[in-house]
Amino acid sequence: MQFFDCNAFFGSPMQRLLAPAATANDLLAEMDFCGVEKALVWHIAQHDASAVVGNQLLAEGIRTSPRLMGCWTVLPNQARELPPPRVFFAQMKDARVGALRIFPNSHRFLANAVTMSDWFEPMVTQRIPLFVSVRRGMEWRDIYALLADFPGLVCVICDHGCWGMDRLFRPLLERYPNVYVDTAQYLLDGGLEALVSDYGASRILFGSGFPESYHGGMMLALKHARIPDEAKTAIASRNLERILMETEL
Amino acid sequence: MIGDSELSREFWEAGKSATCPIYDMHGHMGAWTAIYFPRANVDAMVGTMDECGVRMLVFSHHMALTAPDIANSLGIQAVRRYPDRLRAYCVVNPNYPERLEADLATFEAHRDVYVGFKFLSDYHGIALTDERCRPAWEYANERELLVLVHTWGGSPLDGPVVVRQIAERYPRLKLFLGHSCHGEWDKAVTLARDFPNIYLELTALFDDRGILEKFVNEAGSDRMLFGTDLPWFDPHQAVGALLSAHIGDEDRHNICHRNAERLLAPFIGRVGI
Repeated sequence: MQFFDCNAFFGSPMQRLLAPAATANDLLAEMDFCGVEKALVWHIAQHDASAVVGNQLLAEGIRTSPRLMGCWTVLPNQARELPPPRVFFAQMKDARVGALRIFPNSHRFLANAVTMSDWFEPMVTQRIPLFVSVRRGMEWRDIYALLADFPGLVCVICDHGCWGMDRLFRPLLERYPNVYVDTAQYLLDGGLEALVSDYGASRILFGSGFPESYHGGMMLALKHARIPDEAKTAIASRNLERILMETEL
Repeated sequence: MIGDSELSREFWEAGKSATCPIYDMHGHMGAWTAIYFPRANVDAMVGTMDECGVRMLVFSHHMALTAPDIANSLGIQAVRRYPDRLRAYCVVNPNYPERLEADLATFEAHRDVYVGFKFLSDYHGIALTDERCRPAWEYANERELLVLVHTWGGSPLDGPVVVRQIAERYPRLKLFLGHSCHGEWDKAVTLARDFPNIYLELTALFDDRGILEKFVNEAGSDRMLFGTDLPWFDPHQAVGALLSAHIGDEDRHNICHRNAERLLAPFIGRVGI
């Protein structure tokens, strides 16, 4: 079983972590120790410092690491802080960046049609995945509002919390076919099995939450979950590979 | 495979270890109002324990914590259904002193069930040091019982300042800091260093990378206890974190079973392998 982590970052946060991964090489060393093959990663400066600066740091960090694919951050573009989406998407392709993240709370904007249509409309058409984190920068009500405006968006809800958030994310899985959840912080005993039973394995992506969480926690939980081997493989890597393959940049 | 140790190989392949049984010292059971649990009844929980190599779970039933009308009765029934796999903490809800009085009066009749007490002060809204808690503390101290307290950094009810006062007053009981004063890690370490009867319990810490190494290095693995809040958290997730941490297998043995075996021995006879 190969693991493709959809939810990891590197870089030094403004507030020091107990065990940070300052560089891409630090991240790769831990991936090697735990047996993680590939990762879709972002740089903490994208959240803490500046989307523009963080995106640059990410691109530089992953340039020589083919096992790492990037996930950049976008902002509302009414102030022209980033290039126009068409240009930005071309830059993503050149930098081996396959997905986007937003942090509306921290970056002070509303992720709805009024603010973000110029980004999210082409993202729906081109199936560019958007990653949002409940732990960092996005609340449930905002996720519901975002998906009501863009029901076709490929949206991965990460870090949804160790307090078993099924009552909050299951309605989204049922309503929106392109919504996924990751495994970081989904510690609920029997949670994976129940989700696979109710929605199939295709809606779940392996995410570690590294470096704030240990890689191996959800790896071992997935390895020994009471679900078919094909379901484990899909969650561990295949689903993310498929989503990224369907993206048109 | 996660890491490169003997235990890593065993847990990765089999999901459990013959040489490293797990004693989960912080469990629950039954429904909790704010969360959906797929496996919260006693039979399903023992099924999880079997799969993960958990030899024994010491728990407090959710109904004992949240439903005073039911109190400790369901926990007692569960232990007597699985006497080789379960022990319970008698829940103290100091909002109901008459209930506590009754529980203390019948504690001896439940020595096959109870190893001590459980406090959930942040939820019950009454500090560990409140006068209404005193009968339980004195009872536990006189009999050298095991007491699991929910502790959280910054809490005026069960944070490090309050815990220190309790530890100073009651040196004979064994005090398990549930969640290890979550967030105030340095203070938790200091408490463990200052009081030989304090243990750092790890529920909800397995998702905080770096804390396992910090506690092993600064407090020692002989003062750490495995816990998952089962049925909240999958024990495999906790074990996977333990295997990911940069600590040794000897530390993992201490955390998973050696410390618990030593602490539980007076209550369940000879335990361990």
